[in-house]
Amino acid sequence: MASDLALDSARSVARSAREPGSGICFEDVTVAYKGTVVLERFSLTVAPGEIMAIIGPSGSGKTTALRAVAGFVRPVSGRIQIGERDVTDLPPYERDLGMVVQNYALFPHMRVDENVAFGLRARKEADTTVYGRVQECLRMVGMLNYARRYPRELSGGQQQRVAIARALAIRPRVLLLDEPLSALDAQIRRSMLDELARLHRELPALTVLYVTHDQTEALTLADRIAIMRDGRLVATGRSHALYRLPTNRFAAEFLGRANLLTVRREATSGAGSASDGVFARVRFGDVSLLARSAEGVSAGDECLLCIRPHDIGLQRPPAPVNALVGTVQSVVWQGDLHNVTLDLGADLGADLRGDLAGDRGDSILRLVSLPLREPPQPGDRLEVFFAPEDAVLIPAEAAHA
Amino acid sequence: MLVWSRTGRAGAWGVLALLFGVVYGVPLVMIALASIAGQWNGALPSHLSLGHYAEALDGDSAAQLRVSIVTGAVASAVAMFLGSWAALALRNLRPAPRRLFDMVFFLPSAVPSVSVGLGLLVAFSRQPLLLNGTTLIVIIAHFVLISAFTYGNVSAGLSRLPPEFELVAASLGARPGYRLRRVTLPLLTPYLIAAFSLSFAMSMGEVGATIMVYPPGWVTLPVGIFALTDRGEVFAGAALTMLLAITTLIVLLGLSRIPTKAVTRQG
Amino acid sequence: MHSPAPKAASATLARPVDLTTLWIAPPLLVLGGLFFYPLVLILGQSLGSDGSALSLRFYAQVLATPLFQGALLHTIVIAVASSVGCLTLGFVMALVLSFVPFPGARGIARLIDTFIALPTFLVALAFTFIYGSAGLLNMSLMATFHLPLPPIDFLYSPWGVILAEITVYTPFVMRPLLASFSLIEPAQIEVASSLGAGPWRIIRQIILPAAIPALLAGGSLCLLLTVNEFGIVLFIGAKGVITLPLLVYDKAIQEFDYTTACVIAMVNIALSLSLYSLYRLVVARFGGRNAGLV
Repeated sequence: MASDLALDSARSVARSAREPGSGICFEDVTVAYKGTVVLERFSLTVAPGEIMAIIGPSGSGKTTALRAVAGFVRPVSGRIQIGERDVTDLPPYERDLGMVVQNYALFPHMRVDENVAFGLRARKEADTTVYGRVQECLRMVGMLNYARRYPRELSGGQQQRVAIARALAIRPRVLLLDEPLSALDAQIRRSMLDELARLHRELPALTVLYVTHDQTEALTLADRIAIMRDGRLVATGRSHALYRLPTNRFAAEFLGRANLLTVRREATSGAGSASDGVFARVRFGDVSLLARSAEGVSAGDECLLCIRPHDIGLQRPPAPVNALVGTVQSVVWQGDLHNVTLDLGADLGADLRGDLAGDRGDSILRLVSLPLREPPQPGDRLEVFFAPEDAVLIPAEAAHA
Repeated sequence: MLVWSRTGRAGAWGVLALLFGVVYGVPLVMIALASIAGQWNGALPSHLSLGHYAEALDGDSAAQLRVSIVTGAVASAVAMFLGSWAALALRNLRPAPRRLFDMVFFLPSAVPSVSVGLGLLVAFSRQPLLLNGTTLIVIIAHFVLISAFTYGNVSAGLSRLPPEFELVAASLGARPGYRLRRVTLPLLTPYLIAAFSLSFAMSMGEVGATIMVYPPGWVTLPVGIFALTDRGEVFAGAALTMLLAITTLIVLLGLSRIPTKAVTRQG
Repeated sequence: MHSPAPKAASATLARPVDLTTLWIAPPLLVLGGLFFYPLVLILGQSLGSDGSALSLRFYAQVLATPLFQGALLHTIVIAVASSVGCLTLGFVMALVLSFVPFPGARGIARLIDTFIALPTFLVALAFTFIYGSAGLLNMSLMATFHLPLPPIDFLYSPWGVILAEITVYTPFVMRPLLASFSLIEPAQIEVASSLGAGPWRIIRQIILPAAIPALLAGGSLCLLLTVNEFGIVLFIGAKGVITLPLLVYDKAIQEFDYTTACVIAMVNIALSLSLYSLYRLVVARFGGRNAGLV
């Protein structure tokens, strides 16, 4: 019953939202504070109706990018467009966007309904419109029963729902979410994540820019992900593709956990594999492996092989292609899975071991598996397997980007 | 950030600069100029010289400055001592009498200084205590006027002191006297210094009560300045006012440089 | 030889009189002797204790004089106008310093704060050099427009005192205001402006509500301080501007009329104490001894 109502109200918001949403376009945007460049020639296009997550470590410029869209920082060069409109020189209050921030920023002296009405009042909407819209948006986030409360009487999750309703009430063309879940505890964060996904299903025209440092949030919610580092865009792509086929070391390590092995592509790719163009044969010490090839990796080059921990199996497949042997370092049980760390060092060729000496962790392989009835013990020798489809090469130059 | 456009921001800063300039800048500049004025016949003074300062430093005024400093220092020291005593002793009381006495100690700050002076004049011009015409009555007047502020500063400091320190000290076997000397007072030092600074500055500028009670032999600088300007010697008055202000600020600066061990990490 | 009975008795006796509470006696006695005892004597003298019976006849006499009524009116007008001025000026300056920041804004705020430490008559004296009949403003105007007489004489009206008191007491308002502004989350202002609120709406709907406790506390403190102000009025020395503290001084020191002085002082004290109660009430109601002084 309640969810029907919610869906109804969501439809009415969606229907009346300006039909095709507006995209966001960064064109060569550079932002500097007191001479320090915090965003450097940043270009990114967010399609209408898309959820774009920007992730990166703190100080990477992701929040600056969002603040530039909102108008809180002014680029020293470059343009920002929302839809067809160049907003670079507009003040924030003329940009028509909704915003939700980490600490909710609900106005403490206003009741929940007054908070939600704030943007509509600022636009001098008629009282009846304001009333209807406030009801609609509060219902949509399930907070209708709390309309007369003050923010201090609500829990963190409830406050964040109100903040979302407040942002949606003005029917923004673009919704900016700045680490909206990081102030919440883990359990509420998961349910809010589902909630946000549901909201977007109900408001498919809404363009969302989602800034977070949490890769799980990005992977769960976003259609596309942009990874930033030191004020620059490092990688961008559809979430799944970016996760499966990272284009550089930073993207591989920041989005999910990755094993990165230093390998050398073999001169001849004549491994007999039918998919010569897609796969390449590489040498890891004495072992020969097959992995997805990448642009910029030529025969004879040193490069990185990226393999996700959960793609490594302990069961010998019918036709094993890639197999590695190592010594078990640690086995950690986490309830729903086992974390196993393997040291491949002892089984590497002497020459490569020398090369790897400075590169800490390169001979360590992490894998996760479903809980094992008889887990291996530290010191055991273990053979593990992975499919060529799950391994991707990353150019060595990009590794040091 | 409230104003987003460059022109808007420039406008806001312009308003601030104008207000600050008219209300604070111009008066400061003008009194500084007047203090070094030889003549003032046009819009601005002419024949600038440091003569007024030189006169100030070797005449009656030097004595008056000394009187002001001594009065301020003694009154502030006594006020700090009794204010801390009161604030510390109040902690032993139950909430109700505590609130009552708290208000009692604050009360002198609410009464006009002239009335405080009048009261002292009325009270100590008769038996049992004849203090009228003595140095002591000036110091008493200053003490009464600033006592509430020192008390307020110390009790604010005490209320901000985390109670754990004293509890830990007690658990380690420190008796009350030792605890006060080694834990509470050192932690209060910043507030004691702030209390002393504020009361000293107030005492240095005090006119209302002093002018009611001062004897001819103990003239504070503000009273002396008033006598000068009342006679029309405004430039000398300006120089002495500058001197008073600078002395006060130097003392405050010196006090703020006293290193205190109670450095709170959180700031 | 110790029987249990006396022990128990002494324990129950010791209970109600906790000796540590007696520590409060010395400072109380000092304050009683130096502050409350003189106040009681003022009250006594105003009621005619020097003569025969206590009565309100001196009050009836003094309160009926135009001199007293004028002083009371001036005191109230000057205090109210100065406080309103302090609140306005303090609010505008604190607003720009906090929300349109620039390098050096903190320095300016600290400079304004040091005015608290300066003698109040400094401003009065400085004003005579600016707005006085031979001051900067009048001399420039006379020179520019060839006027025979100084055109501006507001310094010797209540307005001169009011402007001087605004200068002196605005820092007392800015302290709590800057503190309360620093507690407003910047994100609130950003979210409000992204929701379409312009600067004026944000000031009205976000900043002003948050500043109300500070404004009330600062305003009532200002009222108290300006009612009690003496040095500024004395130094400006305008003939027509007489306030209650100045009248007390005139009666006692110039005319040696202690009884009249005591009556006026009692009225002044009553006014001050009611304003002080107002201030304490405001601070207790809205929290925080924000002005940091009283």
